[in-house]
This record gives sequence, C-alpha cells and structure tokens, in this order.
Amino acid sequence: MCGILAVFGCVDCSQAKRARIIELSRRLRHRGPDWSGLHSEQDCYLAHQRLAIVDPASGDQPLYNEDKTIIVTVNGEIYNHKALREQLKSHSFNTGSDCEVIAHLYEEYGEDFVHMLDGMFSFVLLDTRDKSYIAARDAIGITPLYIGWGLDGSVWFASEMKALSDDCEQFMTFLPGHIYSSKTGGLRRWYNPTWYSERIPSTPYDPLVLRHAFEKAVIKRLMTDVPFGVLLSGGLDSSLVAAVASRHLIDSEAYCQWGSQLHTFCIGLKGSPDLVAAREVADYLGTRHHEFYFTVQEGIDALEEVIYHIETYDVTTIRASTPMFLMSRKIKSLGVKMVLSGEGSDEIFGGYLYFHKAPNKEELHEETCRKIKALHLYDCLRANKSTSAWGLEARVPFLDKEFINVAMSIDPKWKMIKRDIGRIEKWVLRNAFDDDEKPYLPKHILYRQKEQFSDGVGYSWIDGLKDHANKEVTDSMLTNANFVYPENTPATKEAYYYRKIFEKFFPKNAARLTVPGGPSVACSTAKAVEWDASWSKNLDPSGRAALGVHTAAY
Amino acid sequence: MCGILAVLGCSDDSQAKRGRVLELSRRLKHRGPDWSGLYQRHDYYIAHQRLAIVDPASGDQPLYNEDKTIVVAVNGEIYNHEDLRRRLARHKFKTGSDCEVIAHLYEEYGEDFIDMLDGMFSFVLLDTHDNTFISARDAIGITPLYIGWALDGSVLISSELKGLNDECEHFEVFPPGYLYSSKTGGFKRWYNPPWFTEVVPSGSYDPIVLRRALEKAVIKRLMTDVPYGVLLSGGLDSSLVASIAARHLSGTKASRLWGTQLHSFSVGLEGSPDVKAAAEVAGCLGTIHHEFHFTVQDGIDAIEDVIYHIETYDVTTVRASTPMFLMARKIKSLGVKMVISGEGADEIFGGYLYFHKAPNKEEFHRETCRKVKALHLYDCLRANKSTSAWGVEARVPFLDKEFINVVMSIDPKLKMIDMGKNRIEKWILRKAFDDEDHPYLPKHILYRQKEQFSDGVGYSWIDGLKDHAKLHVTDKMMLNASHIFPHNTPLTKEAYYYRMIFERLFPQNAAILTVPGGASVACSTAKAIEWDAAWSNHLDPSGRAALGVHDSAYELDAGSNSSTIKIVEDGPMMMDTTVRELAIRS
Repeated sequence: MCGILAVFGCVDCSQAKRARIIELSRRLRHRGPDWSGLHSEQDCYLAHQRLAIVDPASGDQPLYNEDKTIIVTVNGEIYNHKALREQLKSHSFNTGSDCEVIAHLYEEYGEDFVHMLDGMFSFVLLDTRDKSYIAARDAIGITPLYIGWGLDGSVWFASEMKALSDDCEQFMTFLPGHIYSSKTGGLRRWYNPTWYSERIPSTPYDPLVLRHAFEKAVIKRLMTDVPFGVLLSGGLDSSLVAAVASRHLIDSEAYCQWGSQLHTFCIGLKGSPDLVAAREVADYLGTRHHEFYFTVQEGIDALEEVIYHIETYDVTTIRASTPMFLMSRKIKSLGVKMVLSGEGSDEIFGGYLYFHKAPNKEELHEETCRKIKALHLYDCLRANKSTSAWGLEARVPFLDKEFINVAMSIDPKWKMIKRDIGRIEKWVLRNAFDDDEKPYLPKHILYRQKEQFSDGVGYSWIDGLKDHANKEVTDSMLTNANFVYPENTPATKEAYYYRKIFEKFFPKNAARLTVPGGPSVACSTAKAVEWDASWSKNLDPSGRAALGVHTAAY
Repeated sequence: MCGILAVLGCSDDSQAKRGRVLELSRRLKHRGPDWSGLYQRHDYYIAHQRLAIVDPASGDQPLYNEDKTIVVAVNGEIYNHEDLRRRLARHKFKTGSDCEVIAHLYEEYGEDFIDMLDGMFSFVLLDTHDNTFISARDAIGITPLYIGWALDGSVLISSELKGLNDECEHFEVFPPGYLYSSKTGGFKRWYNPPWFTEVVPSGSYDPIVLRRALEKAVIKRLMTDVPYGVLLSGGLDSSLVASIAARHLSGTKASRLWGTQLHSFSVGLEGSPDVKAAAEVAGCLGTIHHEFHFTVQDGIDAIEDVIYHIETYDVTTVRASTPMFLMARKIKSLGVKMVISGEGADEIFGGYLYFHKAPNKEEFHRETCRKVKALHLYDCLRANKSTSAWGVEARVPFLDKEFINVVMSIDPKLKMIDMGKNRIEKWILRKAFDDEDHPYLPKHILYRQKEQFSDGVGYSWIDGLKDHAKLHVTDKMMLNASHIFPHNTPLTKEAYYYRMIFERLFPQNAAILTVPGGASVACSTAKAIEWDAAWSNHLDPSGRAALGVHDSAYELDAGSNSSTIKIVEDGPMMMDTTVRELAIRS
C-alpha cells in the first residue's frame, strides 16, 4: 500500500504551506515507508508515500504522462496494467510501475476509464492543461480514501483521515466505486455491476465456473517484485487462498524471485483455535508457516495505536484489528511486504452465522448485497489499515471484480443454509473446491465451521478487553453516554472505551460520522436484525452471541 | 538499533501512566520497528522497541536473568557475547540475543562489568531485589542516550531526547563511557583507556598491527542474522571498510545466510563527486552497488524531519545527515537492516583538512583526543540517528575499543601531515593498507584526498540549503538573533533556520543545551582555531572553508607564491577551482 494526500486550490502557496503538506503527508508514512514524493503546481499539491511492490527501483511517485502535463498519485495495484499498456501502444512509459497506466489512460479516454482498471486503487489525478482534477476509489473500497473541504475553498483527498482531519472544515469517506471530478464538483458512481441493483439473480450454480473465477483472482494477485505470503487463520476462506496460491506459485513471476515455498502466517493467544487450525492446513499444504503469539496485555497496550491507525470505534473491527495489527509488525520484520488475505467471502456467500436465520433467498441476497456495499467500513478497512500501519500490503482475492460478478449472479437459493441436506454456510464455495482427484484441502477442513475472527485468536481475548474496559469506564460514565455521545451512543463499557480513545485522536464531528453505527447482531446489518425476534433484545456485535446456529449448538 | 525508554520510580502505577509510557515509547518506534515490549513493576517501567538483527525469532526485549529478578532493556550490539556466555557457563540463557549476557553479567559481577562488553550499547537494568537500577552507555557514544529527572522524583532514560523531553523538569545527554547507578544517584566513568588523559603517547607505528586491528574490528561487526551492506562514499575510510568486509565476508555466518557478495550504497546529487568515487571503488571491489540520487528539493523537504530525528541544530551535522537520512530510507526499502560505516577515522587519525595546520605533535594529539570525546555529539549522533530513523543500524568499526587503543598509542608525530615527505592526512592508515601483493584498494584511491561529506554529495547541496534558508530568515531576524537565542547564537541564516525548526520541535531550554556550540572552522574544536590567526575571522563550520590545504591548493600555492591559508566563504569548490580560489577574502 501507499499513502496519498492531495490538496487543490488552497489560497496559500507559500513555503510554509508546502512544509505543512509535507508534515501532513508524513502522517501517512507508515503506509509507504520506502520513499516519498511531492508535486506542487501553483496552488495544487500531490503528495505520495510509497511502498514499493512492483518496480521498486524506478516507480517513485507522483507519476506522469509523457510531457508531464498529467500528474497522478496512486495508492494501489493495477493487476491488468500489462494488458492496458498493450492497448496504449502509442504511449511511451517512463517507469515499470503498474500505476503509470492511469496517467496515459486519462490522456486517451478522459474521465471514463476507471472501470477499465482491474485492481484495488485510490488515486488523484491533476490535468495541468486546464487545471482540472479527478479522484477515484476502487469498486469495493479495498483501499481507503477520504475527501475534505477547507475553509479557503480547497478540496482535499487523503488515504487516511488523519492527514486531512485537522485542516478541513468538513470531510467524509470517499465512496467506493465513485469518481470525483472538479469539472462537475461532485461524486459520480463509475461502478455499475448487475448485482448493485439488488435484484435477485437466477444463474444456476456451476462449481467449476466459480472455482476458476477464484483461481484467476488469486493468480493475478501474485504479481509482485518483493517477498510475500498468505494470512492463514485455518478457516475456509484463508485456507482456500493459501491452497490456490501454493498450487499456482510455480507458474508465477514471484516464484522465480522468491522461491517455490509459500509463507503463511497466523496469530493467536497461545493455544488458540486459529493457531491449531492454521497449523493443520499449513502442514497439509506444506507451506513455510510462521506462528505468532500475543498476550492479552500486549493487545491492550496496542489498542490506542490500533484505533489511531484504523480510524474507527466500531467494536468488532477493533477486536479483530488488534491481532492483525500485531501480526503485521512481525510479518514486516521478516522482510515480507505483501500478504494475501481472505476478507470478503463471508459477505459474498452469506458466511456469517446469522445467515442461518435468513427467512428466504430474497432476504439472503439483499443482505449479501448490503454487506458487500458496507465492506469498506468494516473488513476492508480493517484488513487495509491494520497491515498498512506497518508498511504491509493486504490483497483480497475474494473481492476481485470478476469473481464478485460470478458469485453474485448465482441464484441465491444455492447459498441458503439447509442443514437437512448438509448445506452449511458457504456451501457453494466449499463444493466448488471439493476435488476428489486433486484435493485442494482435506474434506474435514473444507467443510469445517470455524470461529469468527476475534473469537478464533483465543476466547480470553474478548473477555480481557471487556475486563480492561470495565476498569477504565465507570457505571456513571455509561449512564451519561447518550448525552456525551448522542450519535452512535456506545451501549457497552468496551464501546465507550474505544470511543474515548477515538475522540482523543479525531475530535471533530465529521470524524465521528465516518464510522457506521446502528443495531447489529453478530456482524449483521440493522435490517437483518429483524430476522429473529429475540435478536433485537440481545444486541452484541461479536460472533459468539449468535449462538444456537453453530454445529456445536445444533 | 533499538529504542529504549525507562521511567523509574514515578510513584504512579495507574493504567493512565502505563498508557503514557507506551505513548512515549512509540516516539522511538522508528528505531525498532520489529516489535515492542513493556515491563512494568509497580512504578518502574522499562519499554523497548526492537530492531531484530541477532536472533529475530526469540530475542524480544526486555530480557531477564533466570528467575526474572533482573530486567534489562538494551539498545545495541555486544560483539563478544559468545565469549561472555562461555564465561558464564553456569548461567542459563533463554534467548539467542547478544544482549541477554548483560542481565547475567550483572548477576555475577554487580555494577562492575561494563568494560567487559565489546560493542556499542545503551541499556537500563532493573534489579528487583532492592529496586535499584543502573544505566550505561558505550565508550564513545555510538548509541545515543539521554537521562532526565521529573518533578515526581522519577528518573527517565531514553535513547532519544523525544522520548523524555516532555516529561522531565531537566534532562541532559547521558555521557558516553559512563554508568549511572541509582544507589549512589550519580555517574561514574567506567571507560578509562590510556588515551583519555590526553598524555602524548610514544608508541611505535607498525603498519601490520594497525591493519590487523582494523580487520578484526570489521570482521566482528559482520555478526548478523539479517541482510546488510556497507555505506560507501568512495573516500578512504568507507572504501577500506568495504574492502575488508568484501575480503572477509566468505568466512562468516552472514555469508551463508545472505550470500558472499557485498552490497554497497552511496548517495549524492546526480553526478556528484561521491557517487563517482564510490562507483569506482565498488567496481574495483566487485560489490553489488546501489546508487541513490536525490535532488536539492528532496533534501530541503526532508530537513524538518531530519532535525526531528537527529535532535540537533548543529549546521554541519544537519547538512551531512540529510543525504544519509534519505539514503537510509532507500536502503531499508531493499530489506537491508544493517550497514557498516566509516565514521571516526577522521577524528582518530586527524583526517580533517584543518589538521594540516597543527603546530606540533602535542597539539595534534590533544585535538584528536578532543575530537574523539566529542564524537557522540557529531558524527556518532548523525550516523546513528539518520539511519535509525528508518530502522537501519549503523556499525562503525573505526570506533572499536581495541582499534582506538592501538591508534591512540601511536606517537602522533607519525600522524602529522608533512607534504614535503608526501604524507597527506591519515597517511599511517593509508600506508597500513598499502599491500603490493594483495592490494586492498588501487593506489590512486588509497592515497586520494576526498571531499568532506556534505560537499561530496554534490556542490549545489549546501548552496541550495543556504538559498532556502534565506527565504525563511530575514535580515531583521538575524539582527535580533543574539537576543532570541542567547545560547549558541546562530551566526548565519542557515543556522537560524535550523534553530527555529529545532526549537519548535524541542522547546525546552534543556534541549537547547544538549547541542554543542562554540567557534569552529571546518569541523575543528574551538581550541584548534588558535592554530591559525586567520581562522578566527572566518568561522565556517563546513569543510569547504579550510582552503589551501587540499592537494590541489598546494599546487596553486606554488604558482601564486602565496603561503597563507585561503578562506573562501562562498566560492566554488576545492577540486576544480582555478580562478576564484585565489580571491583571498579578509
């Protein structure tokens, strides 16, 4: 990952302003520890902090078109950059960076090229010929982006809120799948797949089509010039990513440079379910597996930093981000700069345990759509910011555009959980990789139900967090919570504690509003709480509370 | 390198205090990006940010003795840890970390073990038996350390000033070669080599002894479990380090892990003298050479960050740190965590150009002693903090304790520069590596005079800095400088500019006092200015000003029949000047 910061049309173009922009850009340096760049052009500034994954030697940013009239600063990976270069034959490229295509595509197609990009990205582009600019964010919001407005009439873009929150009067999350154009001054959605309308699809389920779509998604993410690995919790999703990656490593570019043995990583409290499960999968796949342990105290000590980095006070996200944050530091210390991760599968396939209660296929499908649209506020945010805190890039093959199209066009009746015919959650995915001749995973792993993330790292983690919060937050504090925090009022001491830390770092009202709220049970949207009458009385955002649907409970 | 921070006896064991200590420790995270640890016992806190070089898998800190009654956090490398472990045969070690010996040595010898450590280090050790603690810093101050006192009666110890400046009523540089003990509440110097008294030595010069001593110093610094390289400016010092490392690499554990080809790194503006010289040396040695180019604007944009990291407003140090800081980031991005660097040779051998004017061997020797003692405020500080800013560790073989003893016992008359006998600066070092059979370096490199660091990266670098400072500092500001900054008053706009940035980041008076000041010409101490009457009128801290002593100037001197030293403040550079160099300004 990289960090971008851009400011357009500020009144002040002094040396002091330049220094201020540099200072703000430094707040994103964890995202791109390898180099930084700043392009200033009258009252416009484009700053970049780079994590070098493709073309480390020459791809420093900002990037330019041939005559340097178009300047672009990008955070992300464009997996189809070679194919796009082929289409841009008349252009000559200055670097080997995958992101340089953006400048040339703009030159060729104007603003209407974003859908041609296959990858995860946030970028800001300045056209010096007419002093116009655009900014865009990838389809699902795998990479973070914020937009803000200064009192001096300036417009700001930043990969993380911390770079613009102090200098903007108003700011918000830049919506995924959207493009901002200075010509119109507004946001427009460029991402218009069929599933977006939430209409119920009817394509029959074909296991092989799904399998190949996923394999393609993993393979294209092996594009790297630096050492990489896979985050392996031992659950279905990360195990499939690891299985596919290790199978196809040998054909990839990465293989020539970094060897044929895949590195896998897992974290947990000593003896936690994830560690055991991941070890089993790693042994089966023959990966070079690295286990990391943390203590509850280490996790608690890291909380402030975690919240500073991930910029949310959402309870589930913080619980799950902390182990990931700690693990990322260890992974980075091994010299690994990029990891593949399993986020997104639970949303696409309805993998959360509460989907057991989906009343019908229509409700199930609409809920998966809602979940995917909200991913950028939850798991995408977690996966990206927890790793980027240490200059590690997370790639998420389940959120491949093509793969989503395939998975979301399947008639949702196939996704419904039916215990009577042996269909547990994510059955369509499990079945797609159930290959008797060349098994991807042993059957018992392929069909196993796993803990949700923050439980899997060890049961005492969440109890430890609650105990700690109980010490920090008194009863009377909680009693007054709805006056102190009228929006998204924290309902528990734990939530109150996180909120306090968040507000210390991000005191503005606009910051508070970037975080989603509303009732939820076990990661559900507010709408799905209606699926079971008993849920609304028993709101707990974490996985464990939705008991009675795990096989152990059946 | 790592970062250590200790808050000892603050009478506060609350969660809030723990949170605050964690926050302070995070300010040192750049030094140790790989992991962090915090030990707390009542109101004693010892925090550590780790850069894993030896035993990355298990050496997380703080470290303990067997029964965990002794806790230690260390920033540094103990090169003789394997020897020491053997001497501690009855002790059981838990990790492979080189620093764990410190806990066991304390257990065995009490406070009197520091001199047994061969390496660079700063550490804090807590003895929970009686709640006493000690802290110590290596002989020369290769690793940084600060100590401070808070109003609540606590003592704070931190690798960098930024870890404690906001908490302490008073703080200062922890003096190198000293030990602080809470039992006595005071400092004691543990480093007492013969040269420290500044008595003029009379030892003979044996080139082979000198050579062996430096080779040993380089070889022991190849102890690493992670990828590493050599900083190569193409001058004598770094070229020798690279040459020795390349020669001895094949026998080391490092070579089994990371290959037998040495990586070397150089930085400069495009086409700069250093970049050219380094490429030549790299070509001779067959290293995998990496060149980094920066622009004046890149450097200027980094200045604030540089000053934040290196914690000084000393002009020469800021100028020279910036390219090193930029290079360290690139080095780290290649996955390299440790580099060997050539600092210290100029101090030990009297390599700065102003040594040409040393009036006699006694003065010469005493100046080298003063320079070595001040290293921790200048080049050690630069080398350590510029690299640690990006989690890269710099090792400096010229500052090996044994090597210093060898060099500082040589009769200084042999170090004197004598152009009549063709003895240029650092001649005894050059001569020691002049091996006809197995040449370390080609002769023309071995005997070449080089630019001082901030000139070598490109002539326009310093001009660019001066121009930039003029945009920020007005004449009126300069008029009031002595009132605004009564201590170490900045004399130039450039110095004023750095000072402004420093004071914004570190506003306390104690912070200002950690930075040395006083008159200097071309890196001299204030005392050496007396060597030449003309110098006191032309104080410029950088290398360029001491003209007339470089080879090329001697030649010109003969032509112009002039014997006085020439000081050209803003003139072009030494090497390729012809006309303006003759303009003596007085």
